[in-house]
Amino acid sequence: MKKLDWLFMGSLFALISIGIMLVYSATSNTDLPWYKTEWFKQIIHFAVGSIIAAGVVFMPAKFWKNVAWIAYAVALASLLLVVNSGHVSKGAGRWLDIAGFRFQPSEFAKVAYLLASSLWLSKHRVSIMEPKTLLVPGLLFIVPFLLVLKQPNLSTALVFTAVTLVHFYWAGFRLVDLFLFVSPAASVIFSAISALYWNLLIIGVFFISIKFKFPLWLIVLTMLLNISAGYVSQMAWNSMEDHQRSRILTFLDPMRDPKGEGYQVIQSQVAIGSGGLFGKGFGEGSQTNLAFLPEEHTDFIFSVLGEQFGFAGSFLVLVLFFLLFWRGIMICRLHPDNFVNLVVVGACTILFFHTLVNVAMTIGFMPVTGLPLPFLSYGGSFVITCMILIGLLLNMRLKGKDII
Amino acid sequence: MLSHSNEQEDIRHEMNFKTIVFVCINIIAFSVLILRLLQLQYFDFENNLKKAEENRIRKVNVKASRGYILDRNGIVLVRNRPSYQISLLYNGLKTKENRDSVFNRLLRITDAKGKRLLDSAALHFSFERGRWQKFRYQRLMEDAAPEVVALFEERAEELPGIEILVESRRDYPFGSQGAHIFGYTGEISEKELELPENAHYVMGDRIGKKGLEFSYEKEFRGKNGSRHVEVNAMGREMGPVAGMPFEKPVSGNALVTTIDWRIQQVAEAAIPENLKGAVVALNPQNGEIYAMVSRPPLDPNIFSLEKRELHKAWASVALDTAKPLTNRAISGVYPPASVFKVITAAAGLEDNVFTEHTRYKSCLGGFRFGSRYAKCWRAAGHGVLNVVGALRESCDVFFYQAGLDVGSRRISDMGKRFGLGSALGVDIPGERSGLLIDSATYEKWFERRGWKWSAGEILNIAIGQGALLVTPLQQTAMVGALAWGNGVYKPHFLKEITSPDGEVLIKFKREKVAEGQVLEHTRKIVLKGLDEVVNSPYGTGRRAIVPGIRVGGKTGSAENPHGEKTHAWFAAVAPLDNPEIAVGVVLENAGGGGAMAAPIAQKILKAYFYPDTLQVETK
Repeated sequence: MKKLDWLFMGSLFALISIGIMLVYSATSNTDLPWYKTEWFKQIIHFAVGSIIAAGVVFMPAKFWKNVAWIAYAVALASLLLVVNSGHVSKGAGRWLDIAGFRFQPSEFAKVAYLLASSLWLSKHRVSIMEPKTLLVPGLLFIVPFLLVLKQPNLSTALVFTAVTLVHFYWAGFRLVDLFLFVSPAASVIFSAISALYWNLLIIGVFFISIKFKFPLWLIVLTMLLNISAGYVSQMAWNSMEDHQRSRILTFLDPMRDPKGEGYQVIQSQVAIGSGGLFGKGFGEGSQTNLAFLPEEHTDFIFSVLGEQFGFAGSFLVLVLFFLLFWRGIMICRLHPDNFVNLVVVGACTILFFHTLVNVAMTIGFMPVTGLPLPFLSYGGSFVITCMILIGLLLNMRLKGKDII
Repeated sequence: MLSHSNEQEDIRHEMNFKTIVFVCINIIAFSVLILRLLQLQYFDFENNLKKAEENRIRKVNVKASRGYILDRNGIVLVRNRPSYQISLLYNGLKTKENRDSVFNRLLRITDAKGKRLLDSAALHFSFERGRWQKFRYQRLMEDAAPEVVALFEERAEELPGIEILVESRRDYPFGSQGAHIFGYTGEISEKELELPENAHYVMGDRIGKKGLEFSYEKEFRGKNGSRHVEVNAMGREMGPVAGMPFEKPVSGNALVTTIDWRIQQVAEAAIPENLKGAVVALNPQNGEIYAMVSRPPLDPNIFSLEKRELHKAWASVALDTAKPLTNRAISGVYPPASVFKVITAAAGLEDNVFTEHTRYKSCLGGFRFGSRYAKCWRAAGHGVLNVVGALRESCDVFFYQAGLDVGSRRISDMGKRFGLGSALGVDIPGERSGLLIDSATYEKWFERRGWKWSAGEILNIAIGQGALLVTPLQQTAMVGALAWGNGVYKPHFLKEITSPDGEVLIKFKREKVAEGQVLEHTRKIVLKGLDEVVNSPYGTGRRAIVPGIRVGGKTGSAENPHGEKTHAWFAAVAPLDNPEIAVGVVLENAGGGGAMAAPIAQKILKAYFYPDTLQVETK
């Protein structure tokens, strides 16, 4: 049981290798000396990340329980700092300089929140019938969520949301509970899109809550929340200026503005599509080489893959991701401990959410949010976060038994 | 212990189920992604590949060089010059920091006098537009002077995103000389772009707007070529694409005009400054125009100016009350004045209303008609004259009486025979038809205004005043045709169109536009009158004498409601026995035709008949 999972490790190293190769391909046409290039820096990121991950693995599993609150507190403090005095990069204050290193506190906050939420929920189960059980985990979530949202960094805030929902599921919610729980948020979106969808949603919520015999106060509360959320959303939508509305619509559907917001998405789709079944070959893509793809080595690295290696390459990478998440989540089955389970499922959720949102964005299924692709996208803080998550997964696999 | 393991079992079961849910969500999500990839990369592959290629390869227009305009002897009158456009390629700025620093550096660039070259508001506008059209050149400065270009080139390093593009512009080496003939080019307007015949043009192309530039646009423009280049996302050319055809541009055809630049220059110089008016010289035998001048002058180079300057220059010429934009030779209409007496004379002689020997009542300086007393221009009177004498001395009293006999119908018919009252069809735009009507038409036209043709109206018509207007071109062609006696030919500038290789593509063939004939004896008598105007010691146009050449002519001094001084007219034709050249001169509010206009005609005739005495300026 202590043996390494070779499928997991193999997928991981394959993804990292492919990632470095793609960053090389996307950034090689510069005049910089090799030690200043981005692909070389990316190798350094992974080297540093691996060392940190190794350190994570060799810690006793209990250590993570002990540091969870400290890590959470430090994360909140650094988020507060960055909100007040962050570097401004691409219009969003996300960076912090500490001892000459620039890093993104929101990246480490993901890990810290994961640990803190896991620790609390491992001892306290949540139930939708008892709202007071949601109070502490709700607070744990909402504070970093709001701080990250204020940066503003909507996509990372959504990562926190995804972790929270999955954690609630693991800590006592049923799927139907989750449905009821998120329905007010769905109301906000649906009522803005179409009154019909929103009405259907409310009817659905009503019948499902009857069918599953929820207590009356909960049904009433849910219905009230849904209806008021919908009306508030509609009122807000109607009171917006045209250009604000247009901005939101363009965010949701970039194709509305093919020369501006939609430019990246269109070029990305063209890049991927023009790769065909087997791609144009390593380093061959005209979209990439002639700089039609903006942010090609960070957020749009998947387009480089699609263009140069075609469907075969993209398919392979998605399969590798699936193997990684599958083998990752299966660690839960090794150790029937709540804390181990929550850390594992949380880490897998973070990685999966990034992958899904990023790939969906490059193929035009989701708004351009700026979530990078784990192991493939260029970026120091993010590579290290991913490696820490991998380290945690390995740590739980190897030492999760000791925790009990 | 047992309960503990039971609890563990429960957790294990619950977790097993939940991990399966997680894996299922993974499978569903990845399946959707893979299906989408299949759609993009397999089903839409061709389409996407095409788009990628279109992205990569750009067809670059290679503009054809515009055809030149030459005079009849091959002197280049209109040519092309390089013009530098200072442009912004927004995407070349790369970063926001660059954007701000380039903006500020641009603002700080000044000319030798310390004046800012770029206007802050206009620059801001260009940058804002650049944000939306990152891959398009935004023109910051149009047609920059070489020294300005040098300023920007020196700073190329600190100005990323700023590029200097070269275009070809029209150059008029002789400045305002001939400007009204050549016209000018300008950026094609949206309205012009919509026209079906302009399908080959794109936004930003230049097109002939007036004059010959307009009339022969199709010949001048040539055919744009194209080449295929690989471009990156910034639109920067990375190099030619192997295997793609290079289509060479075909230069426009040259227009060899009928203009004789020596005569044109003499005519330009002959008109006194500060006078408005027009001069036309043409060959009555075929309609070839040797020279055409309109004053005040117009500098066509202003139309190639940078936009802001152009607007200023344009406003100043368009609002000028002297109307320098108008080509007075074809668009200016004037009373023909005494020059018209040749028509009255011809109309009378043709139908034998009077003969060479008819003498009307003596001229005592005026003529009483009913309650009206119509003056002769010479208060002392002319005494008794026949038609030749009346033409020679331009006696109004003779023609009042002749006009009453001849009638408006005959006069207007004779005018029409020589092309008056309708446009002659010269090959530049803007020609007006003037006004020539008989009493019946007059009443029909002005019925609504309640105007009646009074019998006295014929007195005015007979001496070229009243409801009668001609353009200088019509006046010149009329006198020329009367002397030639073989028809009025369409006045034109087109002599030949030649291909860039020098091959003659089109040769103009003369085209009769009006009958222009009278009986031989009528013509002889009228020509005798024209002869005596210039060559008799009593003639009113003696200042048009050219030694050794039999010049005929007719003076006119048009009364007009706008000024105290009359418009000075002179129309000449020479040599009278075989007319090669007809000259028309009109000077607004300049005074008498004999004194003011005749000397100008003389200079032109001398230039034509004695070219060796001239110094010709060529460029």
